[in-house]
Amino acid sequence: MPTDAPRREDPILKSARREAVIVFATWIVALTYTVGYCARYGYGRRAEDLRYIFGFPDWVFWGIVVPWGVCVVFSWIFASLLMTDEDLGEDPPGTEANPTALADEQIQDA
Amino acid sequence: MLIAAQPAWGTLTALVLFILASMWIGVLANRATRAGSFMKGFFLGNRGLGSWALALTATVQSGGTFMGYPSLVYTHGWSVVLWIAAYMVVPITGFGILGKRLAEISRRCGAITMPDLFRERFGSPGLGLLASLFILFYMSFMMVAQFKAGALVMKIAWVGSDSWSEDQKVGRYRITDGGIARLTKEGVPANVVAALDPLKDQLYATEIQFSEQVRGELAKMKPAPSPEQATAWAHRIAAVSELTDWPYITGLLVFTVSVVGYTLIGGFLAAVWTDLFQSVMMWVGVLVFLLLALRGVAMLQHEEVARGAPAVVAQMNSLEFANRRAIEKTGPDFAFSPGYDGKHEGRSFLPLSLAFSFFWIWVFAGLGSPAGIVRIMACRSTTNIRRSIYLLGVYNAFIYIPLAMISICGRALLPDLPVGKTDDVIPMLAMKVTSGLPFGEFVSGLILAAPFGAVMATVSSYLVVIASGLVRDVYQRFVRPAAASRELELLSYGVMTSIGVISVVTNLAPVDYLQAIVVFSGTGAGATFCVPMLMLVFWRRATVPGMVVAMLSGAGTMLGLYYLGAVLGWGDPLLGEATRFRPYFLLGLDPLLWSLAVSLATGVGVSLLTRTCDETMLSKYFDAEEPVSGVPANSVAAEMPA
Repeated sequence: MPTDAPRREDPILKSARREAVIVFATWIVALTYTVGYCARYGYGRRAEDLRYIFGFPDWVFWGIVVPWGVCVVFSWIFASLLMTDEDLGEDPPGTEANPTALADEQIQDA
Repeated sequence: MLIAAQPAWGTLTALVLFILASMWIGVLANRATRAGSFMKGFFLGNRGLGSWALALTATVQSGGTFMGYPSLVYTHGWSVVLWIAAYMVVPITGFGILGKRLAEISRRCGAITMPDLFRERFGSPGLGLLASLFILFYMSFMMVAQFKAGALVMKIAWVGSDSWSEDQKVGRYRITDGGIARLTKEGVPANVVAALDPLKDQLYATEIQFSEQVRGELAKMKPAPSPEQATAWAHRIAAVSELTDWPYITGLLVFTVSVVGYTLIGGFLAAVWTDLFQSVMMWVGVLVFLLLALRGVAMLQHEEVARGAPAVVAQMNSLEFANRRAIEKTGPDFAFSPGYDGKHEGRSFLPLSLAFSFFWIWVFAGLGSPAGIVRIMACRSTTNIRRSIYLLGVYNAFIYIPLAMISICGRALLPDLPVGKTDDVIPMLAMKVTSGLPFGEFVSGLILAAPFGAVMATVSSYLVVIASGLVRDVYQRFVRPAAASRELELLSYGVMTSIGVISVVTNLAPVDYLQAIVVFSGTGAGATFCVPMLMLVFWRRATVPGMVVAMLSGAGTMLGLYYLGAVLGWGDPLLGEATRFRPYFLLGLDPLLWSLAVSLATGVGVSLLTRTCDETMLSKYFDAEEPVSGVPANSVAAEMPA
């Protein structure tokens, strides 16, 4: 019985860590772009220069509406292609969260 | 008076339908809950949440956000869209960072509540207790604020006589015949009592307003009493005036009985399913409302063209027309950041430092929200987590951007709502754009019922979290570990009913600063739990002292900065939203950023300085499970004599 074998990292931990890094990167990119773009074009402008795109002020359209759309598309790509499915396992038998298993064991014991 | 003083039948019908639907959902949930043990069923829905339930209920903010956001857009203009913009990534961050591991760890340790996670993962009952105390603290704040919102909406539907503006104080002071009789009996001079006659049976919102009126009437007396004498009488008169506002109290009772009722019947699942139901209703409501609002603006546009406006107006996109109208009525700042300053007091709603801060706030307050974490723990599988990411992505995009467009149309169609009444923009606009339509009143009722549903759902989910905190994390863990299932069940019902009673009593004198309280407890929970949750989930080296310090220092930094701002009055009061319950924005940044930084630094530092956790326990959460055929190295069976 390999009790002293080198421990193998939980595969869910591995994939979750990888995905968390992607998510943090996405957040940083979105923050940098949106806050950066709006800082440049949304502050301290004169009303005469304002243009409208589909009725939105130009800086709102390019700085928020468009990246919002990109994020929706990316969340689909992320969730469908980058994120993996894993078996989450069962609640441990004999706890409040899995009392049926407790009952089964008691039956076996008897 | 902004809204006609008669029962709004359409709204009332819609609200009653909402309540009935929620009760029915409660009964359905009750049946589904009965499958497993009471605790897991009632507080965790037997870990059976599907994609839609998870997507639309786990990270969506409280009903307060939906009520407050349109008012902010109406008041400050397009900069508010930058304020909320981080919701573009909330679906990914809310589920993509903690989701899988939370679901996994909570199964490996059999956790039913969030404190269970802390307790089991670190083998420390004390840490679990600390977490549950913090949760109870923040959730209680949130709850009390939400009850007021629910009661106000109900009251408007009931009598149509008031607005749901947050900053409005509910009318409470009234001098009645009984009060006048008591004054006479207590020896107040007859001419003073007579002077009060014009005030009889009128409602006054605050004691200050009431006393001012009383003193105004006393000043008309001949000879007028001295100011000191008038003040003394005003106090005595206020003391015998009737402190009731029956429509508000009726609203409060109806709201409380229905929400506590269905939560009690169906527990966690009832909270989640009604939340899902109202989220879908909200979505439909917002999209229908958007079409109606744009139609309203287009009609205004036609009128202007008919009155001889230049041809360019006729060709203009309706939203652009609404923008131009709104800017005419306000000023160019309405279209830009840091936002329009309606009171011309020099307020900067969203300076760049706060725009930056809010990109953190929505993400991390969502990540550390106890109600959200429990829902992730309750998901059925990773497939559901994945799906809910893009479902929520689409949902958010089609809620927040249309709501902003609606509010801009609101500024064009109802340009002159007074400051302090801007929370009425949604109900008033709904009534305006549906008037004259077939079933218009009912349609506007449905639109208005959506925020009511949002508040109900929020209260319901907090009820479950608070009850599970008291019953599971305190009673079952520390008072009577051997308590039978039936005992816990009765106790849960008792706790929920008591919370309802307490909330009614505390809301008889309603809280002010509703939105500010919601923001405080939301960001407070984020400051307390974000870093500890990340450490719990990803960091093998995290220790109990490290976790305790991370929680305490995060919460402490938050409370400290609120103390400096709200109590000591540090900082610039013209920064951000107008409220007296405001934090000190150190270097212009929101307290949450400082709290996260302090929490991270101390949590990591103390963990590295203290002894690592027990390796057997760590292995359970960080190492792959051994195949079933081999005996797991860390199982109890391995230690048993053969």
